[in-house]
Amino acid sequence: MTSLVLTITETLRYRGAIGQWSWVLHRLSGLGVVLFITLHVVDTSWALFYPDLYVEAIATYQTPLFTIGEFVLVACVIYHALNGLRIVVFDFKPVWWKYQQKAAGWVLIGTLVILVPVFIGMFGHVMRFYGDPESKFLGIGDVLTAQLPFAAGIGAAIIGAILFSGVVGIIRPEQSKAERKAGVKPKGSKLERFWWSFMRLSGLVILPLVFGHLAMMHVIQGVFDITAADFTVVGTTTANVTGTAVEFVANRWNYLIGPLAIWRLYDLALLALVTVHGFNGLRLVLTDYTGFSPLLKRGAIYLCVIGAVVLLVLGAGALFGTIDDSMKKMAQEAMANLHQ
Amino acid sequence: MEVTFRIRRYNPEEPGKNKPYWQEFTLKDVKETDRVLELLHRVKWEQDGTLGFRRSCSHGICGSDAMRINGRNALACKLLIRSCGPKVQVEPILGLPVLKDLIVDMEPFFAHYRSVMPFFVNNDPVPADGRERLQDAEEQQIINDTTNCILCACCTTSCPSFWANGEYVGPAAMVQAHRFIFDTRDQASQERIAVLAEPDGVWRCRTIFNCTPACPRGIEVTRAIGEVKLAIMRGTREGIINPKDIKVHG
Repeated sequence: MTSLVLTITETLRYRGAIGQWSWVLHRLSGLGVVLFITLHVVDTSWALFYPDLYVEAIATYQTPLFTIGEFVLVACVIYHALNGLRIVVFDFKPVWWKYQQKAAGWVLIGTLVILVPVFIGMFGHVMRFYGDPESKFLGIGDVLTAQLPFAAGIGAAIIGAILFSGVVGIIRPEQSKAERKAGVKPKGSKLERFWWSFMRLSGLVILPLVFGHLAMMHVIQGVFDITAADFTVVGTTTANVTGTAVEFVANRWNYLIGPLAIWRLYDLALLALVTVHGFNGLRLVLTDYTGFSPLLKRGAIYLCVIGAVVLLVLGAGALFGTIDDSMKKMAQEAMANLHQ
Repeated sequence: MEVTFRIRRYNPEEPGKNKPYWQEFTLKDVKETDRVLELLHRVKWEQDGTLGFRRSCSHGICGSDAMRINGRNALACKLLIRSCGPKVQVEPILGLPVLKDLIVDMEPFFAHYRSVMPFFVNNDPVPADGRERLQDAEEQQIINDTTNCILCACCTTSCPSFWANGEYVGPAAMVQAHRFIFDTRDQASQERIAVLAEPDGVWRCRTIFNCTPACPRGIEVTRAIGEVKLAIMRGTREGIINPKDIKVHG
């Protein structure tokens, strides 16, 4: 904890230039997105595994708390994407370092410029929903209660990771750095080298994918359109007849261009890249501040592996599954029960 | 003019002063061309002889008086009051154990320095005339910037990654490694690359860029680290630095 507290207090006290604040924002926005990705992938997989719970999850998204969260999320994604681009540029062209301060400023300006039309588009959806007296939304109590399983799941993952780390520590006690280094010639870590390249390359590929995803799900159509009946689902030619979130997902995943279920492939690429990028980023952040404790440092790594594997398995499991009519029916019933 | 110094004090041997605390000193008749170091001397000589700080050459060459002045790392002997204003806050550099007042234990810093083999390696027989191994001016330009390092630790102790984890090798050691990795006469660049490719090597650099403005010698620190990263990625030092891109000193 001390190294984290020290880093936070001294980062606030040290008069670093804009690059220091870019780094702070990059970390915070990354952490925010990883948290949301965790909720989002688990929720969306429920469209297939527990349609009634998916209906409830989307209902929690259509409440003021999550609406605010949605705006923050979109801002985080756009900033993280543009600042990531800046990091990649200066990593591969160190000789341009003189422009990094300007570039950091342009990242902020670029984020704002993109956010204006995006927020206007999102605000339109928000006003249409909250301005309509027919709209119903869950109370804050229900929304928070719905997050309890997540909090419990994340808590269990953290405890599990630390316990596992403890067991590993007993079976195979960690050598001190001096012991490890004694008589061993450093060879360099091929793994860290791989992750360094992966973060940069995956970031470049994620950028267009995630901007497309944001455009479709937050700007062209909003979270509120997911449950709009007889509404043509974005990126498809089919209407959401039952007006359930489950049918919305089914229409997208079953939409074919030629033989290709393009949205399944799109979502699969996004899922794989974002999950691995996000949880490796989380590992980098957590291991930066747990160096003082081998137990916590190993635990942090296990936690990230657990998180990534759970999301990949659930997400891919849902993407390769088939949503049938009985699930839509379940969703319809759940919708009807929701606001009673 | 009158200048107020706010100094971070600490003396582990004296009860009541063995926890870090701030102490203020007011100095009269200060010229704006006075350097911070001269005024620290005045504090020590005129007001409180127990104030501890390091200095040796007082001319920005030995690198012993690095401190955090008004929130940013600098050499006290190179910083004029003109650029500090009437209130000067001085504290030890961060990330190394404080021994007393502004004096830190530099050993962890030098251990990282030693880990990158900061010495010339060439096992070929010496030239026939028994004199130095020559390189051309263009080859020298590649390493000219990083030869300027005076090991003051301003860069390493400005780095949030180093604050968080003292095992991180830090900017200064990488600057020193850069100077030898890219020396065309040196034969141990692969071994240095291997040291820096360890998990606590270059990978902990998050390109925060605090190190570059902290350097009192104007070394392009983050750039040097970036070039070491590229050398690790490509497995070779060849073709990474274009001599045409090098700034010319003086």
